[in-house]
Amino acid sequence: MPTPSASSDPILDRLASSDCAVKFKAIREVKNHIIGNRTKKHSYIKLGAVPAVAAALADSDPNLIVQSAAALGSFACGVDDGVRAVLDAGAFPRLIGLLSAHDEKVVDAAARSLRMIYQSTLAPKYDFFQEETMQFLLSLLESENENLTGLGAGIVIHSCKTIGEQTILCHAGVLEKLTSLLDSSLSQRDASLESLAAIIRDNPAAVSEFVELHGGRALHSVAELTKDRYPRTRLLACLCLISVKNSSTCYLQDIGIKTKLVYILLELLDDSGQVGDEASFAFSSLIAEKEDLQKLAFEANAINKFNCLLQKHPVQPKRLEGVFLALADLCSKLECCRSSFLSLQVLNLVVDALTHEDASVRTAACICLRSVSRSIKNLSAGRFMNERVVCPLVQLLSDLSTSVQVAALGAISNIVVDFMPHKSTFIECGGIKELVQLTKSMDSSLRLNAVWALRNMVFLADKICKEGIFVELTASSMASLICDPEPSVQEQALALVRNFVDGCVYSVEHAFAEDGIILDAVGRQLKKSTKIEIGIQGMYVLSNIASGNEFHKEAVMQLLFPQDENVSHSFFEQFLQSHDSRLRTAAVWVVVNLTFPANPGAFGRIVNLRSFGIVSRIKKMVNDSCMDVKLRARLALGQILTFGDS
Amino acid sequence: MSVLFFSNCHTDPAISAASSSHHNHRNMPVRVLENTAAPSSQVSGANSGRSSCQSCSLLGVGQAFSGTQNVSSVQKDEAWRVNVRIQGCDLEHGYLCGTMEALNVPMADTPVVTFWEGEIVDTKNYTFFTGKWEASPEDDIRHWSKFPSFSPLLGQVEADGGKSLDLSNYPYIFMRWKEQYFVNVGTDCGLTIAGFYYICFSCSNGSISGFYYDPNSSPYQKLELKSTNDGRSGFSFSSYELQ
Repeated sequence: MPTPSASSDPILDRLASSDCAVKFKAIREVKNHIIGNRTKKHSYIKLGAVPAVAAALADSDPNLIVQSAAALGSFACGVDDGVRAVLDAGAFPRLIGLLSAHDEKVVDAAARSLRMIYQSTLAPKYDFFQEETMQFLLSLLESENENLTGLGAGIVIHSCKTIGEQTILCHAGVLEKLTSLLDSSLSQRDASLESLAAIIRDNPAAVSEFVELHGGRALHSVAELTKDRYPRTRLLACLCLISVKNSSTCYLQDIGIKTKLVYILLELLDDSGQVGDEASFAFSSLIAEKEDLQKLAFEANAINKFNCLLQKHPVQPKRLEGVFLALADLCSKLECCRSSFLSLQVLNLVVDALTHEDASVRTAACICLRSVSRSIKNLSAGRFMNERVVCPLVQLLSDLSTSVQVAALGAISNIVVDFMPHKSTFIECGGIKELVQLTKSMDSSLRLNAVWALRNMVFLADKICKEGIFVELTASSMASLICDPEPSVQEQALALVRNFVDGCVYSVEHAFAEDGIILDAVGRQLKKSTKIEIGIQGMYVLSNIASGNEFHKEAVMQLLFPQDENVSHSFFEQFLQSHDSRLRTAAVWVVVNLTFPANPGAFGRIVNLRSFGIVSRIKKMVNDSCMDVKLRARLALGQILTFGDS
Repeated sequence: MSVLFFSNCHTDPAISAASSSHHNHRNMPVRVLENTAAPSSQVSGANSGRSSCQSCSLLGVGQAFSGTQNVSSVQKDEAWRVNVRIQGCDLEHGYLCGTMEALNVPMADTPVVTFWEGEIVDTKNYTFFTGKWEASPEDDIRHWSKFPSFSPLLGQVEADGGKSLDLSNYPYIFMRWKEQYFVNVGTDCGLTIAGFYYICFSCSNGSISGFYYDPNSSPYQKLELKSTNDGRSGFSFSSYELQ
C-alpha cells in the first residue's frame, strides 16, 4: 500500500520532488496561478511555497532555474509580502550570482526577477560607494542585454537617495550611460528616465553635468520624450525636466517650456492609471513656491481641471491626495486661484474629505484648506468660519495621525483670523479645549502649531473670547510655553501674549495674573534669547503693557532696569542698537509708551531713562537709516523734550 | 462709499448717454505696469524681507483709524463718522486691505461696513497713474495734488509717471483704496461702492487723508482719519501670521 504523504499539500510534494520533470511542472503551475492574482499569491506565500521554489535556483537544469526565477519575480511583483518571502528564502544573493551564468536565458530570468524585487522599498540598499559594487553596476549598464541595463537603472531608481550617492554616480559616468539608453525600448527608456531623475533631483551639480552632456543633446532627447506616445514616458520625461528646472535659475526658464510642462501634466491627469495618480504630484513639484508657474497654470484652467477630476466618483485615495496637494500649491500665493477655487465650489469637496478614512487624504485636504484660507478677502467675509468647515477640523485635532493633526492646526491657524471679535463658531465646536490640550503635547510640532493657532485666534479678540482662552490655558502654561525648549514655540507664545495684552486697558491685566508669572517669563526670555524674532515679539509685549496705566508702565520699567542689576549690559540697550530695524522699531515703541506725556509718572520715568543712557541713545536714533525707526525716535524725543532737556 | 442719491438714477437716459460718451473721450490710454498680477494675499503681520515701500508700524494689520468723510464739499456739516481697520498688508506686492465702517449714514439703520483693497504706490507694483476705474491721468494729477505732501513729487510724476522716484524714505504713503463688497448690508442699501479713494498716509503720526472719486458721485468727498488706540495711554500693536 502507498505510504501516507508527510506533507499537508500535494503542491509542496511536487515542488520538492527529485524528479526534474515533476518539479518543473509544479513551479510553472505556481507561476501561472499567481500571475496577476494577489489572492493566489498570498495563499502560496502562506503555504510556504516560496522557499521550495527558491531552492530550485541551485539546480543544474537551466530550464528549472528559469522557471524558478520567473516565479520568484511574480511573487515579488507589487506585493511587499512577496518580496519579503523571496528575500527570506535567501533567493536574492543566488539571483545576483546567476547574472554571471553562461546561459543567456538564465541571465535574463534572473535580471527580470531582480528588477521586480528592486521595485520594492524592501529590497536591500545597493552600496554605490564600494568600488566592486560600482563596477558591477557599470557592467550592467554597459551590457548589450536589455534586461541587465534595465536592472541597472532599477537599482539606481531604488537606491540613489542622497546627494553623496548622486555625486558618486555622476563621477562614475552613470549619467552618460543612462542617456545612451534613451533610444532603446519602451521599458528601457522609461527606466532610464526615472533613474536620471533620481540622480539629478535637487542636485544642481548633477543637473549641470547632465545638461552639458553631448553639448546639450541629452537634455534635448529628454525634452523630445515629453511628446512620446506613451503617457508614462511623457510623465517621466516631465519629471526629469522639472528636476532640471527646479535646480537652478539657468536652465529651462523660458515661458514656452513652462507652459508646455503645465499643459502636458494637466493632460496626463486624464490617465486613469498610475500615470494619472502621479501626474498631480509632478504638477505640485513643478509649481510649488513659484508664482509665475501658478499663474500659467491658472491661465491653463487648472483649477477647473482638478475640479472635474474631483467630481468623478469614486476617486482613489492616492489620486485624491495628489489633487488636493496640487490645489494647495496652486492656491498658495495667488488670490485669483483662490477666487476660482471658491466660485467653483471645490471647498465643499475638500471639507467632505476631512472625514476621509485615509489619513493621507485627510492631511492633504487640510493642507489644501490652509492654502485657500490665506485669502484675507474671504477670511474677512467669513467664508470659512462656519460649522460645516470648523467642526470637522476640530475633530481632526484628536486624530490618531500626527501629520493630520499638524495639517489641521495649520488650517485652523488661518481660519480663526476672521477679524470678528468673538470667534463663537470655533468656541462652540469645542476648539479651544482641543488647542490648549495640544499646547502640552510632547511633539514640538504640535505645540508650535497649537500656540500659533491660539495666537491668531486672540488677534483682535474681544474680552469674552480672551477670557475663555486664558482660563483654559492658564498663566502658568503660557509661562511654560514662553520658556519652551523650542525657539519657534517661544516666539509664537510671546506673540500670543502680545495679542492678549492688546485691546482695552483691562487686557493688560493678563500679564499680571498669578503673581506676574507671564511677565517674569517674558523678562527671562528677553535676557537670554539671541533670536531676533523673539526680541521683536517680546518688545511688543512690553510696549503693549506700557500703553496701559501707571502701574503697568512702572512694571515695565522694573523689568527693563532691575534695581540690583548692572544696566550697562541690559538687553534693552542692545535691542535699541540691533542691526535689525524691526527690533529697533519695536524697542523705540517701548520708550514712546513709557514717556507718553498724559501720565503723571512720565517725568519720573524720563529721569530714569536719562540716567540709564536711553535718552542719549534715542537722540542718535533720530537719524536712523530706517524711516520707521527714525520717526518713532523723533516721536519719543519730542515727548521727552516736553519735560525740558536738562 | 458714497450716497447713491447723487448717482444717475434720476438722470435722463439721453444725458446719461452723453455723459458716458464724454467720459470715453477723457479716458486716454495709459501704460499699465507689465506685472499687474492679482495681488497675492500672502499676508503676514510681521513683514520680513526687503521691500520698495519701507514698512511703517502704524500701517500694520490690526491698526485702527477713525474720523470723518465729508459727503458734500459744500455743506460742512454733512459728514459721516468713519472707522477703518487694517486687516492685511503685503508690502512686497503693494497690497493692503481692511474694512471701513460708516456710522451715521442716512437711509441706513445700522453702521455700514465695507471691505476694501488698497494699492500702494511704490512705483514697482503701482504708480500714481490709475489707468482704470474711469480715472484719467488728469483726474489722477488733480486728486493727488490736493495732498500737500504730493507737491514735491508733482514734477517727476508729470515727467515720467514717477518711475524714477525713490519713495522708500518718504514719510508719506500714497494708496488707492477700492471697496470690494458690503460686509453687513445688502447691495440695495442705497449706497454705492463704485468709486475709489485717493489716499495719503502720514508715517509720522498715522493720520490718513483721502478723496473719494466716482464720476457719478459728488466730487472731492474728503476722508480724514486719525490713528486710534482703544483708550490706551500710548500705542499698542497686535499681529497674526497666516500659514
